[in-house]
Amino acid sequence: MTERSITTEHEPGPVLQDSQSDAPRWFLPVVALLALTAVGALVAGVLVFTGTLWGLNGLARLLVGAFLIAIGGGAALGVRDSLARAHRGRAIGVLVNYLVAIVFGFVALQNMGVFIGLDALGDRFFNAVWLLLVIALGWILASQSERFGTRAATVNRVGRWIAAIGGLVLLVGVGLIPGVIEFFVRLIALDVFIPFAIAVAGGAGFWMLRRDEAAALFGTTQDQAEALDGFLFASPNVLGFLAFFAGPLIFSFYVSFTSWDGLTDIQWIGLDNYARIFGLQFTSVGDGQAVTDVLKQNYQELIRWGDFVIAARDRLFWVGLRNIIVFSVTAVPLAVFPGLVLAAFLNQKLPGVKFFRAVYFIPAVAGVVGISLIWKQMFNATVGFVNFGIVKLFDLINLVPGVDVVEPVPEWLSNSRVALFSVVIVFAWQAVGFNTVLFLAGMQGISASLYEAASIDGAGAWSKFWNITVPMLRPTTLFVVATTTILALQLFNEPFILFSPQQQPSGPNNATLTPVIQLYQEGFQRFNQGFASALAWVLFGIIFSITILYFRRQREDDGTLGT
Amino acid sequence: MTTTAQQTRAEKRAAKKAKSGSVTSVWTKVGIYLVLSLVAAMMLFPFIFMLGTSAKTASDSFRFPPRVLPRDPVLSEFQGEVVPLFVVPIAGQDRSAALVEEGIRAGLFAPSDNLQETYAWPLDLVEATGATVDVVIEGETETLEIFRVPVNAEVVELAKIRNTSVGRFVDVDNPSAEGFGVVRTSQPVEEISFHWSNYSEVLGIRSFDRAITNTILVTILVVGGQIFTSIMGGYAFARLKWTGRDKLFVMYLGSIMIPFVVLIIPLFQIMVKLDWNNTLGVLVWPFFYTAYGTFLMRQFFLSIPKDLEEAAVVDGAKRWRILWTIFVPLSWPAIATLATFSFLYAWNSFIWPLVAVDIGNEDSSVLTIALSTLGGQGADQPQLIFAGVTLAMVVPMLVFIAAQKYFVENVASSGLK
Repeated sequence: MTERSITTEHEPGPVLQDSQSDAPRWFLPVVALLALTAVGALVAGVLVFTGTLWGLNGLARLLVGAFLIAIGGGAALGVRDSLARAHRGRAIGVLVNYLVAIVFGFVALQNMGVFIGLDALGDRFFNAVWLLLVIALGWILASQSERFGTRAATVNRVGRWIAAIGGLVLLVGVGLIPGVIEFFVRLIALDVFIPFAIAVAGGAGFWMLRRDEAAALFGTTQDQAEALDGFLFASPNVLGFLAFFAGPLIFSFYVSFTSWDGLTDIQWIGLDNYARIFGLQFTSVGDGQAVTDVLKQNYQELIRWGDFVIAARDRLFWVGLRNIIVFSVTAVPLAVFPGLVLAAFLNQKLPGVKFFRAVYFIPAVAGVVGISLIWKQMFNATVGFVNFGIVKLFDLINLVPGVDVVEPVPEWLSNSRVALFSVVIVFAWQAVGFNTVLFLAGMQGISASLYEAASIDGAGAWSKFWNITVPMLRPTTLFVVATTTILALQLFNEPFILFSPQQQPSGPNNATLTPVIQLYQEGFQRFNQGFASALAWVLFGIIFSITILYFRRQREDDGTLGT
Repeated sequence: MTTTAQQTRAEKRAAKKAKSGSVTSVWTKVGIYLVLSLVAAMMLFPFIFMLGTSAKTASDSFRFPPRVLPRDPVLSEFQGEVVPLFVVPIAGQDRSAALVEEGIRAGLFAPSDNLQETYAWPLDLVEATGATVDVVIEGETETLEIFRVPVNAEVVELAKIRNTSVGRFVDVDNPSAEGFGVVRTSQPVEEISFHWSNYSEVLGIRSFDRAITNTILVTILVVGGQIFTSIMGGYAFARLKWTGRDKLFVMYLGSIMIPFVVLIIPLFQIMVKLDWNNTLGVLVWPFFYTAYGTFLMRQFFLSIPKDLEEAAVVDGAKRWRILWTIFVPLSWPAIATLATFSFLYAWNSFIWPLVAVDIGNEDSSVLTIALSTLGGQGADQPQLIFAGVTLAMVVPMLVFIAAQKYFVENVASSGLK
């Protein structure tokens, strides 16, 4: 097989003549389809470049035009190779047809309104949702059938039937039949039918070329077949990666250099967004001068020591940066250290450990919005449980003779000095269980022989923890600290729920303003989407440097420990 | 199947025993359990508080001192009227008595040598002596009249500090025994009672019920989509050789570190261009792809021995079947782990629905948004907020209980690999 494909590549001429004689009937139409695609894509590409088609401009025109011309050129190459019966022709044919089917299928479904039709599905799903319980019941019955002993097989079958019928009724209930009818009714519309027909043609070409018969005809080797399969298997993933990750990422980077409200035209303003973020002024105030006299236009005072003043062009960014640093420095240790200690306790061979582990994990499952709402009520300054608990605790302390402390009952959510700390409490409370589980997993990976050797040397529990567990857990600790920090830097949900809508999500006196909250307010309340994108990239830069730091530390460790 | 599973579990347990340090002292054990229980109580308390408050009345949820369990004032019938019961001292004894009359003019009396020990009694039932006494109240000297007041069946001479109003309380079983007291400071007789109707009430607010089913639908679709693309992609990355595979994989790994907020603006604009924003689809379609899930599946597929698939004939058409009949059945732990992650992500995501779906659009609302709105609107009705939060947590909790193993054990190992 390998030899044959090599010959075809080296001597396209004679094989081409050969091929005409023994070509199966489907061969020429498929090649013609590919040729048609090539012409279509090239023409469309040129039209996009000249601005005639779709009226795109700027970056979009260049990218879409280049993409179409690349597809067209590729397809043309594919036609030549196909006629030569080279595997590359088949590969290009398969991929181009696949793309055509996907893209035009997408357009057809989009024009049909299938993607936004999920709302209508949601409507019917509302009435049919109880059938999920039936399916779950059937599934549980089937999976637990072994407990029924001799009747296991029957129970299993009954369970499967219940689940299957439940699923069928659910499908009918959410409108499968009217949906299918609607599909065909809408297909008649011209803007649906044409892309649909093209997609079907592409699909047919794809299917034809994918068959074993085609593989034999084009002399596809095993490796080549594998590569083609690799592309196709990865494609749902890769298309998603391109459309919803890589594409938006590049777009976001571009937007960060523009001024854009999301509706009117984009304006390129170069580095100005970044200049606004990082714009600082260091100056000093002379005698009899007001601070505003010495500041540049648009600058606001940030810090002042005596006569020395630091001002910033975007004061809120620096406030947010300070808040998030203070937050991370307090919240991360509170979320990590208790986790380490708890994991060490859970790692003892005691009964009931699994129960505690599960309990600690519950906050991680419960969902941050609900949790923040609970804490919001508990933080209530007058009737909340937190202050009530503090009062009770200090009553206990004051029972000690000679001690008389006034208990602090802060207004957790409206005092700008403690507002950030209330967010710290919620964050650490939620994160500590998850970290405990991670630490526990790390501890269970430590070799028992180390502990045995230490025991022989007469080491106590504390000494073993400090001299074996902690150093051996270093990789886990690094991972936990890094992930928790990255999570903390993106703080948004907790302050948003705790402080809004009674106050701004930025809290009293901007005490809980975080970079992501600033991004949300700039991007989706003031619609400065260019500036908000720049903020996002600055935040990414901070997170990225922490990640790099983490990987470097990890590599150093690997080097020294030789693991 | 089960016997091998049990065997491995037993082996694991034995291995774990050997690994962990042994605790010998009983006191150490007690200490450890004490700490573990204390932390468990701290972890569980907010949820218990949530459950209790979700069944309270509005006034009960703003009561000080705060309580966990919901309570109602106990009502009783007295001479054909429904009246609340209070704990009041009648003839020197604390009894539960019905409040039958309010707003009786009364005086607040106290011994002139101890003005803190106050005692309220109707003015009609006391007798003025005509005498007065001078006392110092907050630095000022005041002249107070002395009255004869019946206290616990004996008449005592007390100074009247000021006027007040009291209620008349009657022992229901013994109507001749009556007492007086300031209603506001009297302790009502209460019984624990759960107002489950809060739940049906919250379901009716702004289509909260619809938000629940929408969230279920979105979660099912996202979890299903992510599992599908991750299985396909994981297989392609783990087992098939194709041009650019390794470079793309490095890019996937890199993409895991990029925070979602970097993508939020362009993604929003793409949704606007496609006309998807403000629909339910906007919460589903962009999230079928997951770099993390692909990574997870790839790592798991790499650990499956190659002989298994080599036994099957390898050619193009059959790869699909190899994947679904050999790889997928062997990969349930990884798939379940991925499913738990996707589930938590889809169920709890907040910032994306917040920007992509209008607050007013009830048809496309999901639970996190509905809860956030409820938290704002129902600030004076915490019991409704808490009923909503409880409802939002039911499904995750059930899934957690059912699939605890995958949440706790595999989540830990998969993150670290």
